[in-house]
Order: sequence, then C-alpha cells, then structure tokens
Amino acid sequence: MSLTGSHPQLVKRSRALQLLAELPGAAYLLFLMSVLLSFATPEFFSVANLTNVALQVAVLAIVSFGMTLVILTEGIDLSLGPVLGLCGVVMGLLVVAGWPLAIAVGAALLIGAAFGTMNGILVAYVEMPPFIVTLGAFGIAMSFAMVLTEGNSVTGLPEFVRLFNEGVFLGIPVPIWATAVCFAVTYILLYHTKFGRYTFAIGGNRQALILSGSPARFYQVLVYAYAGALAAVGSFIMTARMNAAHPTIGVGLEFDAIAAVILGGTSFEKGRGGITGTVIGALAVGVLRNGLNLMGVSTEWQVAVVGIVIILAVSLDSLRGLNQ
Amino acid sequence: MKISRRQFTAGTMVASAAAALGTFPFRSAIAQGGKPTIAFFVKNVTNPFWKACRIGAEKAAKELDVNLEVVAPTKPDNIEEQTRLVEDWIVKKPDAFVFVPVDYKALVPSIQKANEAGIPIINYNNKMTGIEKVTFIGSDDALFEYEICKYLFNSMGGKGKVVHIDGVPAAITAQMRKQGFERAVKEFPGIEVLASQPGQYRRLPAAQVFENLMQRFPEIDAVVSANDDMAVGIVEALHAAGRGGQTKVVGIDGIPDAIQAIAEGKMFATVDFSGHDQAYLGVQAAVRHLKGEKVPQEILLPVFIIDKSNVDKVARTPEERPVPSWDKVVGKA
Amino acid sequence: MTVQVVGQRTGMVKPELLGLSPDRLFVVVSRLVALLLIVVTMSILSPYFLTWSNLINVVRHAAPLFLLSAGLTLVVLTAGIDLSVGAVLGLSACLAASLITGGHPALGILAALGAGLACGLVNGTLVAYASVPPFIATYGMLWIANGLAYIFMQGEVIYGLPSEFRVIGAGFIGPIPVPVLIMIATLIALHVLAHKTPIGRGIYAIGGNPVAARLSGMPVQRRLVFVYAMSGLMASFAALVVIARTNAADVSLGEEQLLPAIAAVCLGGTSLFGGVGGVAGTAVGAIILALILNGMNLLGIGTFWQSGALGFIILVSVFTDQIVGGRIGRMSGVTQ
Repeated sequence: MSLTGSHPQLVKRSRALQLLAELPGAAYLLFLMSVLLSFATPEFFSVANLTNVALQVAVLAIVSFGMTLVILTEGIDLSLGPVLGLCGVVMGLLVVAGWPLAIAVGAALLIGAAFGTMNGILVAYVEMPPFIVTLGAFGIAMSFAMVLTEGNSVTGLPEFVRLFNEGVFLGIPVPIWATAVCFAVTYILLYHTKFGRYTFAIGGNRQALILSGSPARFYQVLVYAYAGALAAVGSFIMTARMNAAHPTIGVGLEFDAIAAVILGGTSFEKGRGGITGTVIGALAVGVLRNGLNLMGVSTEWQVAVVGIVIILAVSLDSLRGLNQ
Repeated sequence: MKISRRQFTAGTMVASAAAALGTFPFRSAIAQGGKPTIAFFVKNVTNPFWKACRIGAEKAAKELDVNLEVVAPTKPDNIEEQTRLVEDWIVKKPDAFVFVPVDYKALVPSIQKANEAGIPIINYNNKMTGIEKVTFIGSDDALFEYEICKYLFNSMGGKGKVVHIDGVPAAITAQMRKQGFERAVKEFPGIEVLASQPGQYRRLPAAQVFENLMQRFPEIDAVVSANDDMAVGIVEALHAAGRGGQTKVVGIDGIPDAIQAIAEGKMFATVDFSGHDQAYLGVQAAVRHLKGEKVPQEILLPVFIIDKSNVDKVARTPEERPVPSWDKVVGKA
Repeated sequence: MTVQVVGQRTGMVKPELLGLSPDRLFVVVSRLVALLLIVVTMSILSPYFLTWSNLINVVRHAAPLFLLSAGLTLVVLTAGIDLSVGAVLGLSACLAASLITGGHPALGILAALGAGLACGLVNGTLVAYASVPPFIATYGMLWIANGLAYIFMQGEVIYGLPSEFRVIGAGFIGPIPVPVLIMIATLIALHVLAHKTPIGRGIYAIGGNPVAARLSGMPVQRRLVFVYAMSGLMASFAALVVIARTNAADVSLGEEQLLPAIAAVCLGGTSLFGGVGGVAGTAVGAIILALILNGMNLLGIGTFWQSGALGFIILVSVFTDQIVGGRIGRMSGVTQ
C-alpha cells in the first residue's frame, strides 16, 4: 500500500526534538484543537466538559486498544462494533432474566472472545483476509443481536447496571477507571509479555515466524480474542450509559476505532505503533467531535470537517515518514 | 410534574456546584430580557421529514425572536452520537431543548441528565417516558395508521390482498404503526395480508423488496407503507412493472413527492402527520414555558387523510405551509 | 532469503481469459456451481423464482451493484480498498438529479461524473503520492462526500426526473432492461481494459508483487491514481442508473451500499490481498448477491437473519477458496 517511501530524514539534534518529531499527528491535532477551543468557547475548558469528553471517549478508547493490537499484526477487525452490540444485548437479557451480574458479564466476555477466536482462527490458520473474515463476522454478530431482541432495546435493567457508567470511585467516574485499567493491562501485555512480543513480530514477519516453527498463529488468534473481549468490556459501559442494550448500538464504532488507532500513529503495516498513541488518537477524535458541537458547527459541515481532519492528520504523518 | 427527591437534590447539587465553579453561568436570557437560545433536535439531516420539522421550528424562532440551534447526529439516527450531542449541549446550557429521541428508551438517561441540569425539555414526535418534560407534542402513530388502513380497506369494499411494508423494525414508530395496521386488519375479515417485510423507511430498499414481492404475488390489491418515502418507491416499482393503477398504495407523512403522486393519481392516499406543525408548536411551547405561561402536558395534533378529493388544497412544501395557531390546537387538545 | 517466497502471493500469474491456473479455475467453477445451486434450490422452493420476469428483476437489481463494485474491483486488485464508493454514489446522485430536474441534463451527467472522478483522483493522489493507507484516505473521503452531499441537499429529496433520462435505469430494449445492457457493456470494456492493455497488466502486477512492479519501471503511482479515479467514476455512473430507476435522489442513496459492493467483489473471487481476480467475477458476485436477496424475499425470510446469512455466505465462499483452492494451487505448484 505504501509503495513510495518518503524516507524520514530526521536530524538528530536532541532527544526532545526527536520525540517531538515522532509524535503522531493526533498529538499536534489535540494540542491545536484544545488551544483553539479554549479561545472559541468558554465552556470547553471547564471541569464539567472535560469530564464529559473523557466519558464520551471511554468506550471508543477501550475498543481501540483491542483494535491497535489487531492492526499491529497487520490485521483489521470490522466486527468489533456489532460484537459490542451483541455482548451488550446478551448481558442485558441475562440480568433482566434475573441471572447474577457476574454470570451475565462472564457470558458477554465469553461471546466477545468467542467471536474474536473465530476471526483469529480463520485469519491465522486458514489465512483468509482479515477484512473479509471480520466483515462476515460483522453480519453474523448483527443478526444474532437483532434476532435475540427482535430489533428492540433491552430495557428494565436493574439499577446497579448504571453503576458501570455513573458510579464514582475515589472521585473518578467508573468509565475512566475502566479505560485506565484496560490501558494498563494492554500496556503490560504488549510491552512486558511474550504475547506482546509476538503481536509486534507478527506484523511484518509473520511468515518467517511460522516457517521457523514458532507459535505465531496461536498468538495471532489470542490477539483477536483479546480484542473481542475488550469490545465486551466496552459494551458494559455503553449499556449502562443508555440504561438499555440496543442491538445496533455499536455499528460504526469499528470505523471510528480504526481512525483513532491510525491517527494515534499505528501503521497498517509492519507492526509499527503502540498503545499510547491510540489514547491520543481516541482523545483527538473525542475532542474534535465535542469541539465542533460546542462551537455550534452545523451537522452538514461537521461531517465534511471530520473527513478532512482525518485525511490531513494521517497525510502529515505519512509525509513525515511516520506511517512507513 | 413530579420530581423525585433524589433527582431534585442531585439537580440542586449539580447546579450549586456549577454555579460555585462559575462554569455554568446561569443565563436564562428571557429573565434578563435577551434572546433565548433553544437547542432543536432532529434525528438526521438526510430525511425530508426532518427538514420540514426544521423549517417549522425556524418559522417559530423567527416570529418569537429566538436563537435556534439545530442539532443532529452526523450519522443518521445514531443513538450513541445523539447521546453525545445531548451531553455536549448540557454543557452549553441553552434555555430549552426541543427534543426528539432517535430511540425513545436509550436516550432516557441522557435526558435525565439534562433534567438534573435544569434544562426544560419539550418532547416532540416520539414520546419519552421516565423523564421530566414540559410537554409532549405529537400524534398517536398507532391511531393514524389504523385510521388510514380503515379508510383504505373501506374503499376496497372490505376485501382484497394487501402487502405491508414496514419501516425500521427497531424503531418505535414502526412498531406502533404496525400495531395500528394489525388492529385494522383484524376488523376486516375479508382482508388477506400477503406479506409484511421491512423497507427501512427508505425508498430504494423498499422498492427492491417490493419488486421481489411482486414476483411472488401476481395480484396485489393494496400496499400499506409505513411512510411516504417508501410508498413513492413502491409506486415507481409498480409503474416500472406495468402494474400501475391496479394497486392502491397508501403512506404516512404527507411529503411533497407523495402529494404529487396523489395528485397524478398514482398513489391512493397518505396521512398528513405534520412534523412542521409539531416543531413549530414545540418552539412555541418552549418560549411560552420560559415566559412562565402554563403549557398543557400533552398536545396531540389532529391528523387528516389526503387523497384525490382534497389534494389540491394541500400545501406542497413545508415552506408554503401555513403555521398552525397555538390557541386553536391547544384549545382542541 | 525466505522472505522473497513470502512476498509473492500467487506468483506472477499472467492475466489471461483461458489458461487459468488450477486454483483460479476452482474459484471460477465454484462460483458457477454456486450460481447453479442457488437457481436450482430456489426453483424448487419457490414457484415464482424461475420466471422470466423474476430473473430479469434479479439482473436489474444486480446491475447498479455491479457498476459500483466494478470500479472497486480494480482498486482491490491493487491490494487497496475504496470505502468511499457509497458516499460518492450519494453525492453524484444528488448533483445529477438537481441539475437534470433543473433542465440541464447534459450538465447534470457531467457534474456527477466529474464529482466522482474528482473524489477518486483525490483518493488516488493521497494513496499514491502521500502514502496515506487506502483505508484511511477513502474513509476520510466517505465523510467528505457525505458532508458535501448534506450541505448541498439540506435534507431535501429531488423527485421527478424526465422520462428520456429515466431510460438508462428503467427502460427496456426489447425484453432486456437497459441497465443490464449497460452492465454488459461496462463488463466488456473493463475486462478488455484489465486484460488487454498495459494499464491492466500494471494493475495486476501492483497487486501481485508491488516490489517487482516498481523495479520493472512501471509507473506505479500513476496506475494507482488511475484505479481510484476509475472507482470514483464508476460510483457516479452507478448513481446515474440508480436515480434513473428510483426517479428520485437523496443523500441516503449511498448508505448501506458499501458493504454489499465489497461483498460482491469477494463473492466474485477477487482476493483482497490483490493481484488475483477480475471484473467478470464481480459480475457473477453481484448476480449471486442479488439472487440471495431475491430468494430471501421470495421465501419470506425475516430481515433479522438477512445480514447474518450474507455474512455467513461471504465467509463460506472465501473459506472454500482458501482451503480447496489453496490445496489445488499447492498441488499444482503454482505457489511454489
């Protein structure tokens, strides 16, 4: 895809300068937007609004963490959105039917991981293109969610479900905790375990790893399973936010997550990138949408602006040689 | 209106905390004699029904000197995005929300947050429960679908073969309309329902589904479509297949294309279910509420059937449509 | 160096009409068998299926889908993707309908095709010269095209196109619908382009082995811009046929067109890894897709199951290609 290398010619002046040069476009975007919005709208830099943005970004960030790992293995997972919807529906139906929360949550996690595992097996062992595998899974997950609910929202959830969204622990809302925990777990997995080393290595060296007899395929399946399980975690917050589980709630989220990952400086090729960038990418997406709303930009223009910003940020990264 | 104590305390706490922080300057513009800001929500910027709503709201805003902000998700009818929009607008704290939920259940928690922030909610088009609202303005989907079906079935002499094209199955409006359809069918034993399939409320999917159904059923006496956009698509499909004129098609909404098709004799009838009027009255209600006037808890608009006999008297576009009189409608309700 | 072997997918298989490699032959045969199976099963299950009017109905549905996915096929052959096709269709439809109903049919057609071409050129330039991943460039374009259409239309629907124009979507020549004739003509033109011209050979080479393509001195960047431009152009061409058929245009026309278009390409046996497949396969894929949807409507299968059934069929088709086709390929030694 990136056939034409513009080679990074970074003059190594100092570490700080180098770090600045390696920051993904999303970081600059985030900084620029924050400055701009602080001047343009007095509401932006209020505690209330910043909490608001953090809460809005939580689900996107959690799904994007899993997506980052998948993309690091040169894969893609289009099914994460509908799988999130399905997990929410399963959790919702079980608690409404009176099952204990632990079982409902466990079942949802299992379903998320099962979809991931199916995707992973087809990609890793059957060597089917990830795009197609997960597109197929997209349709199947969506159908299951629709059939289970007959297209309706699952409502009448017990009060405690709302704690996933409204609960506050040590002064910080639960979704932000959840995002932080997911980040920490993913970070440790990615940078301090064999699983992480394989994730990076599969991107770019997959065939060599397989030929050398290492269990790359197995770890590739784990990556997809982990992404599916994270989608289930996202679904709990989403369900609590709506106080209802809606079968199509996640559709479209997968594309936002991919955009957040790429904006965060992870490349589709050769296992380049990382999880920290994804946080910045997700925040940039969140702040952009929040800012456009606060500034009162009309919906029609917002749509065009989102597209232009995504293309500009990623083009700049590519031209600076970061996405190569 | 009942406010639970918990919500009330939460509301006051948020309000006082915000006031203390100075992040939410209370600016009830009317009290200060300025121009009030009203956030007017629609479900999308793609369907003409919501355009008609917007025009109705803009007419009211102009008359009443209101600063109207139209708020719509970038992805049509997207629940998650509308939730974020509500949250962002709570931060901006307009004087009132004139609100329609893209899902009447899933948006309840967000609107409860708006309640806690003390923003008055005027709910229009799709009724929400479990929230504090100044009023609901709309009409009963099940009832007017029932009315137009009854009108259609009577015109067929109470017997014949009917195809029902549903909207988006998950949408409350589609479910209510289907209920209305089923109620009417029960009352006419001579009516045979050949098939009921969703057309997603959109022209192209509805036309394609109907083209496939035409293959299955060589004889269809009437089609009940859950909205006009689909009905017009079905009319096109019938004419393309050379079966125009044999099948009576009815829709709902009264969009310009449907009125045109009725005038040309291609379509049988539609129900005028005016988003324009609902939105106009919604903004009126908001301003009256802000001025301290009493607004009834529910304003149900009368609906009427448009067919060949009265089509010439109907305004074709929302721009041309006369605005409803508040006193007349509310007096009636 | 093991990596060299790895880099080649199915090797540099020369695109020829006949003399297909055994694994490709399997893909072609399996699609035709699938087509036959669907037709036979449906004829048994539904008495309305095997009628002339229903079959015409099916190909009429397949035609705009084919036009949309034909350009996309070229992009996929270069191992790229174009997510903006549905949105470009919507934008072009609105521009065309607005100008045509305003009394400028020629201008309307030109504007639509121009808009599609422009979107495609921007996509291609971003991919080829700015090295933006195709997924992101075209996803951004999806938003931009939607945004422009929203700004242009302001929630309006344009209705009532002149009957002379509607011929291309709703007309018949003899017993054959005009869109089907357009589909056949497009298929022949693109097939010749892909298989008989240097440009076509370049497209296959870029997808099959990009490094070799570049080393052989091929203008890779210009070829890439070309395929994305074609994809945009074909999307706007599809838009003209669609509005002629529905007699109306609104911004949501392109919604939900993207995934069926990609599905048609895959069902047609074009590999998303690039370099393998072709527009003829996509035509078969589009027909299979239309047959399945028609079948589900005729049998009265609930919509809740429809997206799942579609997803399952896509998985099964690519799965068999990979397992059976791959095995045949290995046995015949094509992939070394």
